[in-house]
Amino acid sequence: MLTTAIRYKSEVSKSLLQEVMERSGQDLNACYQCRRCAAGCPVGDVTGVTPDRLIRMIVLGDKEGAMNNKLVWQCVACYTCGTRCPNNIHTARITESLKQMVKEAHLKPLSPKIANFHSSFLTSASHFGRMNELEFMGMYETKNIKDELLGGGGVKAVIAEIKNQAQLGKTMMKLKRMHFGFEKIKGLSEVKSLFKKGMGK
Amino acid sequence: MEMAYYPGCSLHASSALYDIQCREVLGRLGVDLKEITDWNCCGATSAAKTNDFLSMALPARNLGIADASGYAEMVIPCASCYSRTLLAQKALETDRDLREKINAELSAKMQGKIRLWSILDLLVDKAKSGDIGSKAPRKLEGLNPACYYGCLQTRYPVDLQLPDDIENPQGMEVVCEALGAKAIDWGYKTDCCGASASVNDSDVSFKLMSNIIKDAVGRGANCLVATCPMCQMNMDSFQNTAGEKYGINEKLPVYFITELIGVSMGISAVELQLDRHFVEATALLRGLKLL
Repeated sequence: MLTTAIRYKSEVSKSLLQEVMERSGQDLNACYQCRRCAAGCPVGDVTGVTPDRLIRMIVLGDKEGAMNNKLVWQCVACYTCGTRCPNNIHTARITESLKQMVKEAHLKPLSPKIANFHSSFLTSASHFGRMNELEFMGMYETKNIKDELLGGGGVKAVIAEIKNQAQLGKTMMKLKRMHFGFEKIKGLSEVKSLFKKGMGK
Repeated sequence: MEMAYYPGCSLHASSALYDIQCREVLGRLGVDLKEITDWNCCGATSAAKTNDFLSMALPARNLGIADASGYAEMVIPCASCYSRTLLAQKALETDRDLREKINAELSAKMQGKIRLWSILDLLVDKAKSGDIGSKAPRKLEGLNPACYYGCLQTRYPVDLQLPDDIENPQGMEVVCEALGAKAIDWGYKTDCCGASASVNDSDVSFKLMSNIIKDAVGRGANCLVATCPMCQMNMDSFQNTAGEKYGINEKLPVYFITELIGVSMGISAVELQLDRHFVEATALLRGLKLL
């Protein structure tokens, strides 16, 4: 029979908790596990880990668990948990911070498609100063296809993805909701320097 | 009066109809929209999920341009753009170090003095003042919208004085009442549609959308009305797929709030571009003899 106990590693726990609190601006120590956040979380039944669990992981210093769970990626940033929290802890800010930490540590995101989506969106905004939907979606799909093929997802998954997007694209075209012009701003150099300052590139 | 205007990327692309409607409808309500020059993408949720500095810096550049425009107020129809811009303005009000760091890169420095309006707050103001009642005389009788607020119209991750209730907002209902439409009471008005999950995590998003449609249909709504272009796009373009997956046969047109006001003002379906909806949006209005 195996008995287990939580082993507190002060260095790991303190530094993780400190970093998440500083980045997110949320006081995780204020959480008393009432689970009102869990009750209102629209993705909780899919992610398994609910905001209260995520906060607990961070407080206990479970770095791997905190950075590698579905909630971090599938949180839809609806801010319901935060507005309902009796202590005003916005867990959506915490998942945002954790995503940034995963990226900065060059770890593999648990949901590559979601990571690809947000990075493509920002890259498109950095190219012309405005997000151009066609460029953005093209970039996003290319990244997904590359991931599928490299990750052994196979051609079938790639074809299904292309088919889905082509269907939406066709309807959007018919309804004149597809926009082909590329908008580029004059102050692009300013936007580029903001990107450089923020992302170091 | 003239007012600064930030359309954001989607109102210049897939939701261009919303841009046209905002200009026309607000123009008739006496608000002449002046698009600020050379604005950039606000970074939306993607910046917040990727880089904290950019999530503040990108809207800050727009705020600088808006401050320099000379207008005292600016309206932002997109809920995401509005939320991100307001959050940046609020944060940079107190975080002077970050403000200086950002302003060092900007030709039009962010001062934070422009007063921001969401489209809904502005329209509620116009409903309460009686402007909507007098400029939009046709009563939308028979129209029973489910007012769909989504997330970012009501929820913000900071301390903020809000004009409406977070869990049961009434702003859109106030506008509907001024138009003579009878908004239904329902439970999913502030539930999330999944936003970008419709593209990058579609199973989750379709489930959320199906909950929303099911409740609206079950409570007798004959359409949805939204202010957020992301919500509108999702509920409109994926309603078929989500509905099919969860056995919902009814289809509800998803109107922008500006479309309901526009119809009541007597603006034509062509001018409002009502033919650009995924779920057919003119038949219901024709059936009720509103078009």
